[in-house]
Formats: sequence, C-alpha cells, structure tokens
Amino acid sequence: MPTITLPSRCDRAAAEAVLPSMIASLGSGPLHIDARECTQIGQAMLQLLVSARRSKGGATILPSPVLHDIARLAGLESDLFDGGAA
Amino acid sequence: MTSEEIQAIFFAECEESLAAAETGLAACQAGTQDDDTVNAVFRGVHSIKGGAGAFGFIALQAFTHTFETLLSDVRDGTVPLTEPLIELLLRALDTLSDHVAAAQGAGETPEDVVLLAELTAAQAANAGGAVASAPEPKTKPAKAANDKPAPEPVADAQDAPNAELDIDLDAMLDDLAGAMGGSSPDSDDEDQEGRWEMRVRPHAGAMRNGSEPVLMLREAIELGGRCELCDISEVPPLDTIDPETGYLGWHFSFPEDVTETAVRDIFDFIGDECDLVIGRGLAMPPVQLPEPKPENVAPAGPAPAPAAVQEPPRPAPATAPAPAAAAVAAAANQTIRIELGKLDRLIDAVGELVIAQAMMAQRLVSEGVAATEELTILESLTRDIQESAMSIRAQPIGSVFSRVPRILRELTQSTGKHVRLDVSGESTELDKTVIERLGEPLTHLIRNAVDHGIEESDQRVAAGKSPEGTLTLSAEHRSSRIVIRIADDGRGIDRERVLAKAIEKGLVPADVQLSKEEIDQLIFAPGFSTAQTVSNISGRGVGMDVVRQNVKDLGGRITIESEPGKGTAFILTMPLTLAISDGMVVNVGDQTLVIPLASVVESLRPDIEHVKGLGTQRAMINVRGRFIPIIPLHAAVGAVGAAETPDRGVLIVVETEGAGRAALLVDTIRDQRQVVIKSLDTHYRSVEGVAGATILGDGRVALIIDVDGLVARSLSASAGQAQEAA
Repeated sequence: MPTITLPSRCDRAAAEAVLPSMIASLGSGPLHIDARECTQIGQAMLQLLVSARRSKGGATILPSPVLHDIARLAGLESDLFDGGAA
Repeated sequence: MTSEEIQAIFFAECEESLAAAETGLAACQAGTQDDDTVNAVFRGVHSIKGGAGAFGFIALQAFTHTFETLLSDVRDGTVPLTEPLIELLLRALDTLSDHVAAAQGAGETPEDVVLLAELTAAQAANAGGAVASAPEPKTKPAKAANDKPAPEPVADAQDAPNAELDIDLDAMLDDLAGAMGGSSPDSDDEDQEGRWEMRVRPHAGAMRNGSEPVLMLREAIELGGRCELCDISEVPPLDTIDPETGYLGWHFSFPEDVTETAVRDIFDFIGDECDLVIGRGLAMPPVQLPEPKPENVAPAGPAPAPAAVQEPPRPAPATAPAPAAAAVAAAANQTIRIELGKLDRLIDAVGELVIAQAMMAQRLVSEGVAATEELTILESLTRDIQESAMSIRAQPIGSVFSRVPRILRELTQSTGKHVRLDVSGESTELDKTVIERLGEPLTHLIRNAVDHGIEESDQRVAAGKSPEGTLTLSAEHRSSRIVIRIADDGRGIDRERVLAKAIEKGLVPADVQLSKEEIDQLIFAPGFSTAQTVSNISGRGVGMDVVRQNVKDLGGRITIESEPGKGTAFILTMPLTLAISDGMVVNVGDQTLVIPLASVVESLRPDIEHVKGLGTQRAMINVRGRFIPIIPLHAAVGAVGAAETPDRGVLIVVETEGAGRAALLVDTIRDQRQVVIKSLDTHYRSVEGVAGATILGDGRVALIIDVDGLVARSLSASAGQAQEAA
C-alpha cells in the first residue's frame, strides 16, 4: 500500500509538492496518507485529500488532531474519515 | 512566494496600517472628524484583522475584532466621536501595536482584558440607536442583544452597522473552543428557523495571496455561523486537479443577530477572490477555473484561453468588470512590493556602473580624449540611474515620526507632563536602512527632551511659558544630507551642572576650559547623566552615548543647540544613503585616501607662523583664534614620501563627534566626488580608523577615512607619547 506522509505545514505549496506522488500512486491500490504531523492545513490540501479519497483506489487518512478539527470545522469530516478508504 | 515571505508582507502592511490609523486618530483629535478620516482609521484596523485571521494570530485577531466593531459604529455615526473616546481609541491603537509586535515575536502579548472591556462598554453604551437587521429577520431574539432596545430594521442591511457585534471576548473564545473542540457542523439539532444562509466559494487567488479561506471559515464560526455543507462535487480526480484552483464551496447558516455586513467583512480580505451569495435556497457559486499561465502557450489548463494572455493567472471574478473599470483599477494599483535583496543587488550594480563610468572617463583622459559629448551624456545618464535606484530605497521619514505620538502619550502618563507635538517635513525621504535604524536614537532623544528638557507645568507657568510643552520634529533635505531636528521649548542645558558632573565623574580635568559647544557634547559621554534620580525613562546615562553611536554608525552627525530657559534642539545630519557618499579625494604620499565630505569643514594652506608646537609631539594651528590639533595623515596610515610639515601640504579641517575639530595634513586635494562605499568588514576585516574603501576612476582602491576614529586614536596616541616624554 503506497504511503505518503504529509508535512507539518500543509499549505498550497505542500499540496503542489505532494500531488505528483499522489498521482504516481494511482492504480497501486488504496493510498495511505499519514497526516499525523500536520499542524496547519489549508484549502488546497483539503481538496487534495478529498480528491484522493474519491480516486479509484481510494485513500485512508491518518489525521492529526489539527487536521481532524479543521475537517470538522469545514464540514469535511465524513468525506475524509468515514469508512476507511472511500 | 513562501508563507514566511507573505507573512513578512503582512507585517509590513501592519506597520502601514498602524501608521495610517495613528495619523487618522491624530487628525480626529485635532478636530478633523470627516468620513474619510474615520474610514482611514477603520480600514487600518480592519486590514490588520484580516491578515491576523489568515495567519492564525488569534490574540491579535480577537483584539482587532473588538476594536474594529467599535470603529464600525463610530464610522456609521452610532457612537459619537468624543474626546474621551478618541483617547480610548488611541490607547487601543497602542495595544494593537503591541499585539502586532508580539505576533512578530518582538514582545509579550499585551494584557488587554481591561481595554477590551472598555472598548466593548463604549460600543454597547452607544449602540442602542440603530441596529442592523439580518437579511431574513425572524422572531427569535438575538442572544447578545437582550438588554438593548428592540432592533429597528434599516433599509439596506449591507450598509448597516455591526451594532450587535459587541461580542465579549470570553464568549467568543468559548465559541471558538466549541468549534474546534468537537461539535460537528451538521450535528447541531438547532433547526434552520431564525437562521439565514450564506454560500461561499473561494477561488484560486484566495489561497495565493497569503490568505487562507479555512481560517475565514473559523472566523465565521466564531461569529455564530454553522457549516451546513461542504460542496465537494466540483473536486476533480487527482490526475486533473490543480492545487491552485478553489474547488470547495461552503454553505453556512447564521443566527439572525449576526449581520450580513459582519459576515461579508470576514471575506472582505479576499475581496474578489471569492464568490459569496446570501439568501435561502440559492445555488452554490460556480468554480472559477484559472486562465493558463502566460508561459503556457499551449493550452494546458482545464479552460482554454487565448495564447497571448499577458495578465497573471488571476481568475476572472464572477461579474467581470467593464474595461473602463478595469483600467481604473489598474491605474489605482501603482505600487509593487520588491524583495529587499533584489533592490540591494540593483544598488550594487549601480555602484559598479558609477565606478566603471569613472574608470572609462579616466582612461579617455589618459588617451587624450577628454570632454566628449558622449561621455557627458553617459555621465548624466549614470547619475540619473543612480538617483533613481537610490530613490527606490527611499522612504518618507513620516514612518518614523508616526511612532512619536505614542511615545509622547506614554511619557505623559509616566511624567504627568503634557506635550504638544509639531511635525513638519514628514514626507522627506531617506534610505530605508537609515529610516529603520533611526527609530531608536529618535526615541531616546524624545524621551530625554520630555524627561529632562521640558519643565513641570508649574515651573513653566512661573517662567512665563505655556503650561503645555512643545516638541518640534522636523526633517528637511539639505544638499546631499537630511537634517532632522528634535527641539523642545524647555529649560535648556544647564551647562554649569553638566560641567560639574563631568568633572565629578572624571570625564574632564577640574581646571578644564571648555566652550559651550564642548560642554554640550559632554552629555554624549558614556555613563554621563545629570538626572537627580534614575527613572525608567532616562537618567541612567546609557542613552545619549548610544544615540551618538547609532547616528555615527549610520554615517550621520549629531549636534546640539541649546539656550538656557528657551529650549534645546538636537540636530541629526544624516546621509541620504549608505551606499554612495560624497568624499574629498586626497593624496598622501604614495596613497590616495577619501575623507567623507560630511566631516569636512574647510581646507587651508597654513602660514607657518600660525602653526604652534604643543609639547614635543603635537602641532596646533590657529584658525581664526581657535587652536586645532594637526594630525598628519601619512603617520596614521603609514604612507611613504608624504609632506611632513603643514607648510608643505594642505590642512583639511574636520569636525568630529568626540574630539571636536582637527586638521588633517595631506599632500594635495585631488578631487571631490561621489564614491561608492565598499565595506571592509565584508571584504576584508574591520580596520580602526578606516570606514571602508572605494574604487577610483583609475581602478585603484582608496581607503575611506573614519574621521572620528582616526582623530580620536591619533590624539590619544600623541597624548600618550607626550606623557612618556614627560
């Protein structure tokens, strides 16, 4: 299972940086995203995570407390975390 | 651009916003209370709030929120702008400045609980008259307005004041904690009755310019909003997603006591970079796909666009402006921010150009081609380019002066002395580095003026003066220097006391005969203070010598004019720039040296009868009745074959900060010209008596003399030799 570890600061630059790895992992089964170190997250990364979850193989996200809280605040909790890989 | 760079821009804008708000409030205090002035204050605070939210500076954002709420009511006329209120707003501005400094890591977060309560009380006490209606008012009572008169709907909710935003900080923070702590946006059982709806879709630019839409959502929740739905339907698959495009849209609901204006204010920071609609059952605004970047000639983005697009890839707003409006907007945006490093590289390149031009001129002269028209044109263009490059780094000194009212307010509080401030020449421009480093010496001088210079009001009245002191700050451009004057109308320097103190501290011998100017200069001696008591303002004797050193480090000079009973003025003469300076090029034996023109008083060829020996080691020259020590430069720099007696050379009379006037003996004066200053520290190492180096037109390196250091060193060395000889 391909694993991508997100950096602490998940801003737009980080989203641009991790996107190629995510694309490269397409077709290799569910993607595992380790976001436990994430202390800041913005819209760019949130929508990347949504896209990863909706991709063919799906994705499981291991969130940090901050990511969890931001997802709840932004109404994305179920989209990002419910039911394992989507 | 990195987040750090964007944050640095935010803090630079904070400085500008604080200065604008300070200017606005000062104008209000002076009686100018028109809409433009009040709006300028509001805008300053509002823009800080927007950035604070975007960067997650919670304390700063919370404070600006309450501050802005009160200002909003002032702007709308709900709260009258009285003298006590202006004083409260000025105090709030000081605290806001501290908050900004704390966010920058330059201090502790200020205690603001009491002030926040005062701001809230001032707003609540006056805000009962006109209250905004929410877009779809319901019968549900407003939770924060139970003790207020019933809300009266106004015609246009968008223009309505934020009268119901008098949120108390604890409640707001509780809301935030709640929002962050676990309540799912769609798990709240409260029905939609009494709530109004907002849908927002941030676009690419909202993420690009340093703002972060997610943080604005948090602010919406702090305000009482609830996220009903996040629209993810437009998020494309990974292989086609563009991280720079905003695909997410949010549907929020708000209680009726939250005004539409308050919600729009949250997203105001990203302006056109989001689509926001308010009303029940409306559709989510569409995704704005970006136009291809200019370098992408082949269509690569999801939306095709003409290949010849020259504009940056900024998405078109939902309602595209008419061409005329766009032209007006473009014309209004006539400033850009430039990374300082790029500017420094430009200045360096211009310096090299100046040198290259001088070298070419010298070469042409040596080849017998002088005074050609082309060379004259090149010289003129070089000077134009140099002046233009320097002007880019130049900033108005008003940015330093604008901090002074706050200093005076604090001094008034601590000393009880009321001081009126007169400022002129605030648009005078000088180098950014000089501006940045002027703040500290200026603060010292102002504190000193108020603490030592200006008398207590009863003493002033007894002396026939106004009970209120006056501090005058002025700046003017004089030849190639900027002259800054800090003057008070206080008691003036008590020279008898200064001299007695200096003798007591052993700074000068007991039988010394000093001129008024020399006595005045004693206050710059390290450790000198005549203050009877040490206060937290001044009196520790650590300030004035630091002031002189700071000014000297910037290539400037400080002089004093003082008249007993009438006041004291400190005059700072600063260079326009630190990169290029006017210098006198002199020959000393086998060396060519540069003496900074700012230090030069005059040059003379002495008659030998005016030169007197002092002991066996030092000669003095009588210049119009004043004896000045002669310092042979060849001895100081180790030059060979130089004129060794004054009658065989030229004396350059220089003014120094620490040792008064001195006459430097050189062989000949070769030229007077602008020189590009190269730091020895950077290229070699620090050398005592040498301020730097420059490259002359013939390609040779010439040392620039540190006049103060060289004179002080030479005089102390010759005094030592004299003692040994004795």
